[in-house]
Amino acid sequence: MSEIKKHDTPMVDELKKGPWPSFVDDIYTYAEKHKKQACFDIMGLLELSYIHKETHWKHGGIVGVFGYGGGVIGRYCDQQEKFPAIWAFHTLRVHQTGAKWYHTSALRKLCDMWDHRGSGIVNFHGSTGDIILLGTVTEQLEPIFFDLTHQLNWDLGGSGSNMRTPACCMGYSLCEWCLYDVQEMDYELSMAFQDELHRPAFPYKFKLKFSGCPLDCVAAVARADLSFIGIWRDNIRIDQEAVRAYVNGELPPNSGAFSDRDWGPFDIKKEVIDFCPTQCMYWDEKEQKLYINDQECNKCMHCIAVMPEALKPGTDTGVCILIGSKSVILEGAQLSTVLVPFIKTEPPYDEIKELVYKIWDHWMEVGKMRERVGELIQRIGLNRYLIDVLGIEPIPQHILMPRVDPYIFWREEEVPGGWTRDIVEFRKRHPA
Amino acid sequence: MTKEELKDKVYKAIEEKIKKGGKSKLNIKDIQRELPDINPRELKNLCNELVREGRLEYFSSGSTVMYGIPGMGIGVETAFKREEEE
Repeated sequence: MSEIKKHDTPMVDELKKGPWPSFVDDIYTYAEKHKKQACFDIMGLLELSYIHKETHWKHGGIVGVFGYGGGVIGRYCDQQEKFPAIWAFHTLRVHQTGAKWYHTSALRKLCDMWDHRGSGIVNFHGSTGDIILLGTVTEQLEPIFFDLTHQLNWDLGGSGSNMRTPACCMGYSLCEWCLYDVQEMDYELSMAFQDELHRPAFPYKFKLKFSGCPLDCVAAVARADLSFIGIWRDNIRIDQEAVRAYVNGELPPNSGAFSDRDWGPFDIKKEVIDFCPTQCMYWDEKEQKLYINDQECNKCMHCIAVMPEALKPGTDTGVCILIGSKSVILEGAQLSTVLVPFIKTEPPYDEIKELVYKIWDHWMEVGKMRERVGELIQRIGLNRYLIDVLGIEPIPQHILMPRVDPYIFWREEEVPGGWTRDIVEFRKRHPA
Repeated sequence: MTKEELKDKVYKAIEEKIKKGGKSKLNIKDIQRELPDINPRELKNLCNELVREGRLEYFSSGSTVMYGIPGMGIGVETAFKREEEE
């Protein structure tokens, strides 16, 4: 083994201080134990970046392993003489399991492989949801892919202009509020869209995320091009006894969260009723009874989260499909908008697959480079997108509020009976 | 037109576009503009098959994927190696 070269990193070492865990400590401990030059070099490079106040990483070029157009993100360092061990430091995205449950033996094998073939540094998990293996050289990419797929039964995730690795919340595995089987849908759609996951097809990225309830733990509404959020359409189940127990201070609100400070006695009006976005709740002090006008409820679940013993989602459950959220680039960041307010669906989710293909086919045809679906909808208008592209009839759930603009232009085919317009006749009555 | 003929047509369109100058790596939209008669999904499948055959190669900017012809234009690694040689 060649001699290990260590770098002087006073500024980076500052990050070891403080009460929080330090990635600097972790990387140095690992580097010392395994004698990894790459780990010493990334610390040295980070120190240099702190001195220069600019990054020394370049990215791009390498895309994947043979036959795959994603899963590997090429990284290169522009300080190759100083830090030869990290001349190339490619990132690999490994498709995480549904709800991120792993067997320890699977993780041990994955880590052993990465110790052997990569830098040993991993990130559980990247913001897309994948396991991120940070840092390897080009020559190791194919052997890693072979080990992952043939020995460990893992697969690479999505990157580039591909469908990205779908992600879901903990679902039924850990949560009482889950309203549909998120892991099942995540798995089924991941398997169905393997080609789009591994081979670039789109103008830009496309993300699917699945949340079991409107609390939306995976932030599907903010991050996914197509968000699937569990929802119910009957009434919130109320246990009036438990509501009174909360009001009388016998049960801790928010299941005891935020109890690190004395917030005073629980005030149902201040903490629940007044926070209801549709003002559909009423607490009758005299009757000591909670009323909910479920017709007006927009399923934000705030009341349920504050008083989980007293309130539960309804039992007629399904999925709400939203479209178009994204972060910045062409246009500003935006949240998803409702596409299908409620749908009952079960494996193999054929109607969902059909909808996804319809969205993709249109986007592939008319989408501009780097234009996400949300930006495409913004460009052509939600009304035209719904009617002309998806063939969906607009409904009140598609809009935030009635329009205030009085100038409404109708197409002839949109008006029952249409119309005929004779300009000559018109001018007889209305001279120009 | 057979699949092989279609693949040749796609390859030729890419080759001509690259030879015209400008970009040596093309986005899928660039290729679509050259071949408007081919359905985008079919075009993507043809391009991917050409990659599997080694006639085309993927190239990534990091967030979007492009298609190139091996040996035409400079790849990132080639550029780095050239710097190293100099």
